[in-house]
Amino acid sequence: MRIYKINDKKFKSIYISYNFTLEVNDNKIFSSYAVLGSLMAKSSNKYPTQKDIEKYLNSLYGANFDVNIEKLGDLYNLEFRIEFVNREFIPSKEELLDKILDFLEEMIYNPLDWTQDSINREKDFILQRINERKDEKLKYGIQRAEELLCKGEPFGTYLYGEADVVKKLELKDIKQAYNELINQCITVIVSGNLDGYDNIDNKISKVFNEHDKNTSVIEDLKYNVKLQENYKYEEVKEVQDTTQSVLALGLRINNCTPQDFYALNVYNAILGTTPSSKLFQNVREKESLAYTVRSRYYRFKDIIVIYAGINKENYKKALEVIRKQLDDMRRGNITDIEFKSARDSLLADLLEWRDSKVAMAKMKLSNLIAFKDESITIEQMRDGIRNVTMQDVVNMANKVEIEKVFLLGGEVNE
Amino acid sequence: MNKIAVMTSQELGESTFTTTLSNGLEVYICKKPGFSKKIGMFGTKYGSVDNDFVDITTNKRTKVPDGIAHFLEHKLFEKEGANALDLFSKMGVSSNAYTSFDQTVYFFETSEKFDESIAMLVKLIKEPYFTDENVQKEQGIIGQEISMYDDDPNFMVYFNALRAMYNQNPVRIDIAGTIESISHITKELLYTCYNTFYSPQNMFFIVVGDVDVEHTISLIEENLKKYENNSIPKNKIEKFRVEEDKKIEQKEIVQKMDIYLPQLCIGYKLDLVDGKEILKNEIMVNIISDMYFSKQSDFFEKEYNSGKVNDSIDMQYEGSDSFSHVIISTLSINIDEVEKDILEYIEQIKNMPVDEELFETIKKKKIGEAILSSDNLNVSYRRIIDSILNKTDVYYQIEALKNITKEDIKEFLGKLGKENQVSSKIIAK
Repeated sequence: MRIYKINDKKFKSIYISYNFTLEVNDNKIFSSYAVLGSLMAKSSNKYPTQKDIEKYLNSLYGANFDVNIEKLGDLYNLEFRIEFVNREFIPSKEELLDKILDFLEEMIYNPLDWTQDSINREKDFILQRINERKDEKLKYGIQRAEELLCKGEPFGTYLYGEADVVKKLELKDIKQAYNELINQCITVIVSGNLDGYDNIDNKISKVFNEHDKNTSVIEDLKYNVKLQENYKYEEVKEVQDTTQSVLALGLRINNCTPQDFYALNVYNAILGTTPSSKLFQNVREKESLAYTVRSRYYRFKDIIVIYAGINKENYKKALEVIRKQLDDMRRGNITDIEFKSARDSLLADLLEWRDSKVAMAKMKLSNLIAFKDESITIEQMRDGIRNVTMQDVVNMANKVEIEKVFLLGGEVNE
Repeated sequence: MNKIAVMTSQELGESTFTTTLSNGLEVYICKKPGFSKKIGMFGTKYGSVDNDFVDITTNKRTKVPDGIAHFLEHKLFEKEGANALDLFSKMGVSSNAYTSFDQTVYFFETSEKFDESIAMLVKLIKEPYFTDENVQKEQGIIGQEISMYDDDPNFMVYFNALRAMYNQNPVRIDIAGTIESISHITKELLYTCYNTFYSPQNMFFIVVGDVDVEHTISLIEENLKKYENNSIPKNKIEKFRVEEDKKIEQKEIVQKMDIYLPQLCIGYKLDLVDGKEILKNEIMVNIISDMYFSKQSDFFEKEYNSGKVNDSIDMQYEGSDSFSHVIISTLSINIDEVEKDILEYIEQIKNMPVDEELFETIKKKKIGEAILSSDNLNVSYRRIIDSILNKTDVYYQIEALKNITKEDIKEFLGKLGKENQVSSKIIAK
């Protein structure tokens, strides 16, 4: 197990992120792990119900605890996280750390003896998550574009799994998932005000080392699986009875290398993350086609998704305007102002990450996975952005192409 | 030199400095040492409910189309055809603006371009630029924004609850108005609203971050001085409020949407109270929500185990000088049963003694929560805005939290009467 500390005394609290990270060999694990994560967030042997957990956390000055599941590219990450006040800021100066670590150990390594009934209850919870995903139109549109781009790859599976698989899960499947989980690669990140907590890493080791049976490190895990036979042009339409339609485009970045990370960030910012971006300026400001229009770059998967809320009558027009922006960038049709404002906005974002304990912990984990380097600082990342040239961005533009077109929200008259 | 007052919260280890400039503008600076981000906000105590008032330039009573405060927000955040978001973005600064029932606020967030951002923000607000053409163009974009909300079940279930509670009050109307109402907006009407509500006495400036207090105040003052020529008459603002009945408008509103998971908002319409009471009610209802509806409650456990509720049941209070209500919201596949359970439960807890130990634990948790939340700059500015609109000290809520008793809780629960209660539901088509 490796433990990383990020100390910043401007905060008043401490955040511990305890991650189990694994390669996904079978996409069915999304279903079983979702149920498992949900159970583990709500019960342990000593605290069998949500009520018991909440009551105990309340007594620790409202410490926040939850279990977070996510995809980091094609890796699956199940994270136990807890946030609590540094003793210096508690009116009674009460020390919470030992209690917090014991609680975390209890929640992870002393699970409740689950019954088929308790499994069934959490299965229903996860099934609801799966069924309600269409209720948030924009988010659903983005997810569909991701899934089309990464069909068959772990990243192309819905985070909460598939309804058919969830329905069939039994007690033994969840127990098996648990036994697998606790033997996965562990990374612990502690972020926040660590003044007066110099030996927090030793304390964590002391409590958790005996549980760790895995010697692998997160850097060795393969986060980008490519099933290239699915990489072909596709248009998909889905009917939904809504006022507004969602257009989501899946873009592939071809021949991508880890060194392209900074240039792709600048490319993506010029394309569609800021109000000075080409998408915002042209789709929204010039053509009034959408209120929301953005692009999102996926560092681990070498893909970009563009999404917009439009009137379905404007579908073709919107597609045309978006295609033109991509073409313009390929031809180097980028003004100095567009370039500079994208770069400055990325530089500012990086600085502002330092204002969040959670963002700093996330950055550490992401850099371990993608750069295989834990020592990278915000300043080094800012240098990486500063060194990107206009030519680098044009080179990136020529690697990017639209591969999937997804339209949600009614039939289109063509 | 301006006289600067300081307010400090021992619990949060945080201080806010305030002063009033010679033109009447109130400035608030919350110092957050060590943080990179600096937030600047320029706001006015004017929102979507202020649609009937005396035009300050003609002295005539005027009724304006619904959604105009929000429309004005869009148009003011623009300079000769360029969107303000873009102007800030060109400096590498992020910015945005929002309109609610009783306020319109424009803000930026920056780490390295603070002085330039203050200058830009002041310039935008002090130099309105409305033309027939840019008004017309905005109708298209706002039309898309309104459609976006129409598809959002969260938003619709909440607004329908307000529509069920209020019969006259303009909180019934979408903040952005309707596609029809905004079609009546003209550049002349925008100037009327601007001139009436964007005078320094009706506005406030807030800065949160690691800044030098005196430098920031003089920066704001110097920038404002550049625009003294186009200053607005200082007459007192006169707003007309519709007489709102104590009675609810209708018991229930049910709307169908193309969704899977139905949503519920139960509303209780309450009597109007003053600013301090509003903030106290907010905290009391937070405490009630934690005691009786959160995951540590028997009620939630029962609803969860029976499979009726998966996520959470939340209760919150909202108040201003024209509305006052409690809203309980949740999602469930079995919305009618959950509604019935909640309503029965409210009647039960009204008659139960308040558990002393539970009450004290939740208060302890709330203090912990306040300390945890001070690691987030956004919490600081929200607290300041609340104090401005409710005319209280910045850290009044922290003080109020310490002073709330279980008798207060009991008394408040007694106000949740069946006759004031409404339900709003979004169900699947």
